[in-house]
Parts: sequence; structure tokens; C-alpha cells
Amino acid sequence: MVDPAALGPAVKALAAIAAGLLAAAPVAQAELYYLIVGGLGGEAAYDDAFAAHTESLAEAALRTVGEESQVAVLAGADASRDALRASLVALAEQTGEADSLAVFLVGHGSYDGTEYKFNLPGPDIDGSELGALLAAVPARTQLIVNSTSASGAVLEDWSAENRTVITATRSGAERNATRFAEHWAEALSADESDLDKNGVITAQEAFDYTSRRVADSYESEGTLATEHPQIAGDTATRFDVARLVARIADTPQMQALIERLDGLEEQVAALRLRRNEFPVEEYQAQLQGLLVELALVQQQIDEAGAQ
Amino acid sequence: MRLRAGHLWLVLAIAAPQSQAFRIEYGADRPPELVACDQALYTGQRAEARSCYRALLATHDDVRIKAEAARSLGDLRAANGFFQTAVETWPEDPAVRTRWGDLFVETHQDNEAVRLYQESLELAPDHVPAILGLARISAGRFEDRTREWIDEILDLDPDNVGARLLLARMSLEEGEVDEGDAQLERALEIVEERGLPPLEVHALKASVDLLRGTDQSPWTDRALAYNAGYGEIHATPAHFYVITRRYREAAELYRRAVDIQPDLWAAHAELGVNLLRGNCEDPEATVAEAQRHLALAYRGDPFSAQTVNTLRLIDSFDNFAVTRHGSAVDEAAAEPGVILRLHTDEDLVLRPYVLELVNRSIETFAERYAFELNEPVIAELYPEHDDFAVRTAGLPGIGLLGVTFGCLVAMDSVSARGEGDFHWGTTLWHEMAHVFTLRATNHLVPRWFSEGVSVYEEWATGPLPGRHIPLHVFEAIGEDKLLPVAELDQGFIRPTYENQVVVSYMQAGLICEYIAANWGQTSLQAMLVHYREGLETGEAIERALGVTPEQFDAEFEEYVAAEFGAVLDSLEPWQRARGAAWDSAAQGAWNEALAQASRAIELFPDYVDEGSAWLVKVRAHDELGEDEAALRTLREYRRRGGYAPAALMQLAGRLDEAGSDAEAIAVLEDVIQVAPLQEELHVRLGDLLLDAGRPDEALVEYQALAAMNPHDQASVHFRLAQAWHALEDLDLTREHVLHALEIAPHYREAQQLLLEIVR
Repeated sequence: MVDPAALGPAVKALAAIAAGLLAAAPVAQAELYYLIVGGLGGEAAYDDAFAAHTESLAEAALRTVGEESQVAVLAGADASRDALRASLVALAEQTGEADSLAVFLVGHGSYDGTEYKFNLPGPDIDGSELGALLAAVPARTQLIVNSTSASGAVLEDWSAENRTVITATRSGAERNATRFAEHWAEALSADESDLDKNGVITAQEAFDYTSRRVADSYESEGTLATEHPQIAGDTATRFDVARLVARIADTPQMQALIERLDGLEEQVAALRLRRNEFPVEEYQAQLQGLLVELALVQQQIDEAGAQ
Repeated sequence: MRLRAGHLWLVLAIAAPQSQAFRIEYGADRPPELVACDQALYTGQRAEARSCYRALLATHDDVRIKAEAARSLGDLRAANGFFQTAVETWPEDPAVRTRWGDLFVETHQDNEAVRLYQESLELAPDHVPAILGLARISAGRFEDRTREWIDEILDLDPDNVGARLLLARMSLEEGEVDEGDAQLERALEIVEERGLPPLEVHALKASVDLLRGTDQSPWTDRALAYNAGYGEIHATPAHFYVITRRYREAAELYRRAVDIQPDLWAAHAELGVNLLRGNCEDPEATVAEAQRHLALAYRGDPFSAQTVNTLRLIDSFDNFAVTRHGSAVDEAAAEPGVILRLHTDEDLVLRPYVLELVNRSIETFAERYAFELNEPVIAELYPEHDDFAVRTAGLPGIGLLGVTFGCLVAMDSVSARGEGDFHWGTTLWHEMAHVFTLRATNHLVPRWFSEGVSVYEEWATGPLPGRHIPLHVFEAIGEDKLLPVAELDQGFIRPTYENQVVVSYMQAGLICEYIAANWGQTSLQAMLVHYREGLETGEAIERALGVTPEQFDAEFEEYVAAEFGAVLDSLEPWQRARGAAWDSAAQGAWNEALAQASRAIELFPDYVDEGSAWLVKVRAHDELGEDEAALRTLREYRRRGGYAPAALMQLAGRLDEAGSDAEAIAVLEDVIQVAPLQEELHVRLGDLLLDAGRPDEALVEYQALAAMNPHDQASVHFRLAQAWHALEDLDLTREHVLHALEIAPHYREAQQLLLEIVR
């Protein structure tokens, strides 16, 4: 499904590396599919910026799933309404209920008070049609990131069970070109956005990072922010949008270690919730015990993975 | 004429206590029944005066008299009502409108007053009291028109006391003491001839004495003999202490003023404002005393924006952290000590850098000016520019960056101006130089010399190397607009063309640079000594440098020609090349951009400020893949004083890649002086310092980072843990590494550190 013409050389190289890295990974029952669309810039500076963001998002997607067949990219002249329709129809055929879908829309949007439109080369596509096409994709867990201007107009309409919708703006009235996509693309490869340092960036982590960066960028310029990112849905903390390091679990021993690691992590989380029940020293002692054990298990995993 | 549809009296909703207004009336047309009451008031018989005015208010038929009586009793609401009725009754009488206008002036509603004065003048173009009213308001706004108004009055009425007093006051404020005194002598003759109260003349004569160095004026005794409760006899000279920057002396006089006239609300307000400027030994007590007087002033005169704003500012001090350093907390410490007042949102981020710069400046200037401070310095940084403006002038809207009141420096914080535009380090350095020039001369230094030393020290020893001279100053030099040194103060006080104040700053800086270069740094010290002795600029130059001011001017002109002749000759081709470089860059024509930028740099290499050709050259090298040339260019740009944060961050990155860590650290330290609120800066600088084996300095960066509440908390705690580990503090290492892992249990580097410290 990847349109080779739309991908830059870096993405192609990454795709190859990622595929190699994950070659040993077992075939999972559920798959994650990406659709990344870079819309019409209207002028050279925007065209260049949208292309760069699209490429960067595609890199992160390939790094995460490792399979070109699971990453569809529409960019430049190829990102037409018909092509977008076709891609979503194909996804509807290709994915099953157990799969996940992540859609990123980059570019300009508009809202006339009634209908949102995503600006594409040729005719635009309107929000209602896009919403219907997305609803037709059976993948049960979905993440839709609309980074365009006026994207807030679709926040409510596109919201659905098991779907997280992220928009760059609070409403359709925020019509200026947005900075969201630039920072979202950054978030998918930044250590800083991986707050729990587990090597995986969730939609929530990426959203938090991006929102802050967007706000900071306006504040540092001393200008009023013309976009206020929004998130709707309750799956963002569980939806992994990008992987910074590959976790390889290919043996029963490794699987056991990972289960042990996950168990310790849960114990740390449970202890944190009860921190006020203990004197500080006791809390720190208990925490230290769990974290030392967790570190040792992690070390074993890393050593096993390196062999 | 049509009566205006109601002059709104919006502020009267605020209840003001009644007080006896004290304004001396010189007009010959003052109704005799009022004159009798006035006379009792002027001579200090306040109870009698009140009875007299009350009687008029209760019994007189004429609302104009009632209005005046109510106003003299301080019942401004009643006075306003009577004036409104009077205007309705005598719509063609210019005097009524003028007197009503005067009432608006008392409540600081100058725009309303101006309208009434103008209406009066439409009725009677030669109505002198209305012209005088306009002149007074115009003088308060420092408008050029003031002298025209006064000339017009004196043409119509050469013996107008009010106009002569206003003229005298203006002359004294502008430093023209003899001219002011001459006006006062004439005013004194007139009041004596006419048997008018001499109190205002005496107060201004006492001010003349003060400006001539005599603080025990016989005019004070004369005024007090006339009226023992005449507070202005102290408050008027106090004003001249304020404008000559002697705030403590001013506060002392205002105290005396309110002691003898407790309802002199303006003096309470000024006392409050000047207490806030003058005392660095015990700032908390000073703020409390200032607040007390300002609150009194507010109760008496709730209409003063300055009082209201300053009270609000004091309330906002709750949002500031006051920290004491050096001998400000330890009397045994040698240095004078430093007190910082920083907004709580910024305190932990900025404090180490502000403190370091203040301490370094004290050390530098004490040596360069052979003067030791004997009291702490207070430095205040305001994240809201309007708060700084209120701190400075009582009103928002001023265009300054920083102000020094002697031992106290107040300035905009970085966040008030937007990062990158405002080199806060240079501003603080500039203000700290003022602390020395003011304190070393007991505040007698003229404005030009104090500014000159500050600008010169910015260039010579400040955190940003090199001269930074705006382009329009070169144009002014080319047009021969520099002033003789003996008149340079006028360029600050009475500028005659746009941007002359900036030109004067730069000229003053160049003069000090020239003095130091030609006669040595000690000659600047000698100038300060002579100013402290009370000498004027001409005498100070002759004594310190051994040349007449005229000789000095001639030699300085040669110096300027030698220093800037080439730049002045090539200003136009330089502008063309620079513009072409930026235009080419915008079009992506990088070879052409490089050529034009190189040409511009060849013509004027020291220009590193806004729109510098150096920045285009860097970008062009970058685009053309010429990494080494880009690095060389960035280095040269910085060496000449370039400070654009993005360029310096790029330079630091390139140096880091090239393994020049020590230089990269120095570059990032420069960035702190202009853009300290970037998280990335503290991360990079801290990491480089830690790698360089300087964990104590790295810790400062990481603590600043932590204070900025960054998104990635786990990383910050891990970095703090690393620094503490390098400093061998195991407890703090453990605390921070646990904190990092509590947030991010999979954080591998933190896991390694934890395992290392528990093994």
C-alpha cells in the first residue's frame, strides 16, 4: 500500500532497517495499520513543510510496525480525494476487528460553519465523508490525528467507542495554519516524549508532548496561540503510536522475564498510589526494592536480547 | 454655546474623606468673601478658615461661591454639583468653566479639565486662567507647547504670578537654576506689592537653594513663620531631590511635610514611592512604611493613578521571592551583600545567573572605580513590563528596560520582552554601573556621565563584548548632530529630534571610552570625585583631564572620525550589500547571498545586531555544505558580540560535534544572558559541564531546568541524580534516581545508576 513515489529516501532506508530488526518477531494476531495523508499546501513553504512532516510520520510508522504493507502514505499530487477514498476502502477490506488503525492528516483544513473540509489537490474531501469512511474500517481500535487548521470542527463528529480523536484546534473557528503536525512528528522520535522511558510512545504521551510544544512556541514568540490541541476518547494511553526501541520476545525464557518485568511495573504503580500511607523513608525503601529488582530483570532482558 | 451634555464624574463613587484643599489663588478677580477665608487658610488658621468657608457654603446665594467654598473644604462632590449648576446658570462665563476645570485637575482628570479650559477659551480667547490651566497640564505632560502658553499669558498679563511660578518651576526642573531664580525674584516682587501669600515663592526659593547645595534654606523659616502647617515648604524642595535622584533626602523632606501637614496627600504618596526607591538596608520595613503612607494618600486622594498602581504593585510583591546573599545575611562577609526580588515563577530559574552577574559587576566596578559599596544592592526583575513601569514611574507605558535608584535596580525580566530580543545580562550590567556612579557621587553625577559610564562598561566589561551602536546613531554622527560635552545632558532631558536620547546614550558611552583610552581609567574615577564635590561638567573635565570642554569636544570629534570615519563613508554601500544578501537568501540564491554578505562584512565587520550580514553568511555556508566555513563565521560573529540565541545554539552544537567542549560551554553560557528560559539550553549546558567534570556547575543548570517544570520529569531527576552522584552526595543521588524511576520504571540509564549506588 505504500506509494513509493511519496516516500523520501530516509523513509525507504528506515523501512528496510525496521523490517530487518523485526524479522525475528513472531507474527501477531492483531496488526497496526497506518494511513498518513499530506494535504495541499497551497504555497511552496507549506508544501515543503507538509511533505517533511508526512515523511517524518511515515518514518516513525515504519519504525514501529516494520512492515511497509501496513503503512500507507499519500502525499503531494497523489493525495487526491479519490486516492484517499481508495485507501480507506482498501483498509476497510484489509483490516479485521482485532487490528488497530492510526490515521494522520497533515495540511490545511477549513470550516464554513457547517462542514469541515480537508484541503487536497483537486476537490477537497469533507468531514462527513471522511467520518463515514473511517467508520467503515473494521479495525476496532482507532487513532485519528487531524492536525489541520479548523480540525476541531470534527472532534465531536468523529468520536466513537474505542477511537481516540486528536485535533490541532479547539474548534472550526481556529483557522490559521497550525504547528501541530511539526511537533507531533517530533514527538514520535523524541526521547523526551517517552515519559515512562519504556521505549514506546503512546498517543497520550505524543499528545502531551505536542500540546506543550505548541503552547511553548506561541508563548516564546509572545503571540496569542491560534491553536489549542484537543483529545477525545479513552484509549490514548494504550495506543502505541511509535516505538523507539524494539522489544524482542522470541523465547519462553524471554517471555517469562517480560511478564516478570510487567508484574514489577504494576507493583511500582500500585505502591505509588499508596505513597501517602507510608513515612517517606519506608516508601523510598519499598520503592527502591522494587526498582532494583526491576532493573535487574531489565538487565537480563537486554542481555538476552543482545545475544 | 451649547452646554456639553454632562461632564461625567465617574470616580465620585469612591468615597473620599474631606480635607481642606490648599491652593493659593493669585487672581485679582477672586470674590472678596472668599479672599477673607483664603487668608485664614494661608496663614495656618485652619479652623477659622473652615468656619469661614462653611458659612459661605451654608448662606451664600451664589452657587459659584458655594462651589469654591465646598472645594476649599475638600467636598469635591458638592463642589462639582455647584459648578455644574453654575455652568448651566452662566453658560457664557469662561471663569466658571475654568474653575470647574481646575476641580477636575485636582482629581487627576486632566482630559476633562482640558475640555473645559478649551470651552472657556472659545467663549473668551484671552481668558488667562484657562490658558494657565492648559499650560499647567501641558507642563505635567512635558509638552513643548507649555512655553508657548506661558509666553501668551505673560504677553497678556506680565505680572501673572501663576505663570511666573510655573516658568520658574520648569526652569528649575530643567537645571536652569539662575533662570528659575530670576523668575522667582520677579514673582516675589509681585506678591509683596499685592500683599499676596508668598508661600509658593518661598517653597521654590528653598528649592533653588537646595539645587545650589544649601539644604538649610532661610526661605523655609520664612514660610513656616507665615504658616507653620505649610507642608509644601518641604514637599516642593523634595520634588527637586527626586528629579536629581536623591531619593533618601527626598523621603526625609516628605516626612517633614506630612509631619506638619498630615492631610498633604500628594506628599504621603511621594513619600511612599520614594521610600520604595531609597532604602536597601531593610527592604521589608521600608515597603511596610511606604504602604502605610500610600494607603493614607489613597484614603485622602483616591483619584491618583500613581498611588493606586503603586499600592497594587506592593500587593503583588507577595508573588515575588526575596532572597538575601553575601553580607545581606552575614554581616561578617566582606562584600556589601545582594538582595534579589524575583517573581516566584522565575526565581529558581534565574536566581543563580542574576546573582552571579550582580556579584561579578560589584567586584568589577569596585575595582575600576575605586569605590566600595557600603550597603546591599537590591535587584528586582519584573516579568510584567507594566509592573516594572509602575515601579519606576507609577504609571504603565514607559519604554525603558531598567532603572537604578541608587542601591536599587529594577528592570524587565526576560519574559517581559520575549526571548532573543532582550539581552538581560547587558541591561543588568548597565544598571549596576549606575549603582556605582550614583553612590560614588552621592547621586550628584549628571545624567550623561552616569549613562556614559554604563554604556562604556557594557562594551568594555559587560557580558556582551563590543560596541552595539544602532544604525541611526551613525546617521546622526554623519549629520553632525552630536552635542558639546557640557550640553550633553540636554540630549537626555530635552531631546530636539527623534531618537536623540539614544544618540546621546551612545555619544556618552563613546566619550567615556575616549576618556579611558586617552587619559586612563583613573580619569573616570577622578570625574566621579569631582562630581561628588559638586562640580559641573566643564569644571570636572578641566580638573580631571586638564583640557577645556571646548578642547575636549574638538579632540573627541577627531576620535569619532578616526573610529568611525570608514564606517560612515561606507554606510550606503554596506546597507546595499546587506540588503542584497538578505534578498538573495530569501530567494535561495546562496552563492550570491554569500558574496553580498561577505562584501557587507568587509565594509562593516562590527555590525552584529539585528539584520547582521554575519547571519546570512552563516546560513549561506550552511546551505552550501561548507561546514568549516560556517563554524568559522559563527565564531567570528560571536567574537564581535553577536548574540542571536539560535546562532549561538548552532555554534555550540557545531563546537560540541567538533569536540571543542570548553568553547561550547562558554557559548551556551552566553546564551543564558539573552535566552535563559529555553529548556534545551540547560540540558545541553548541564550535560557538557557534567562531562567536563564540573558537576557543581552542571547542578546549577539542572536545578534551573527542574524549576522550569519541563515535560520530561524523569530525565530531569536523572540528571540531578547524576550531578549529585558526581558530587558524591549519595542521599540526594538516591532521592533523585528513585524519583526518576518512580516516573519511568524502564529508564535504563537511571536503572544503571540505581544499581551502582546500591551495590
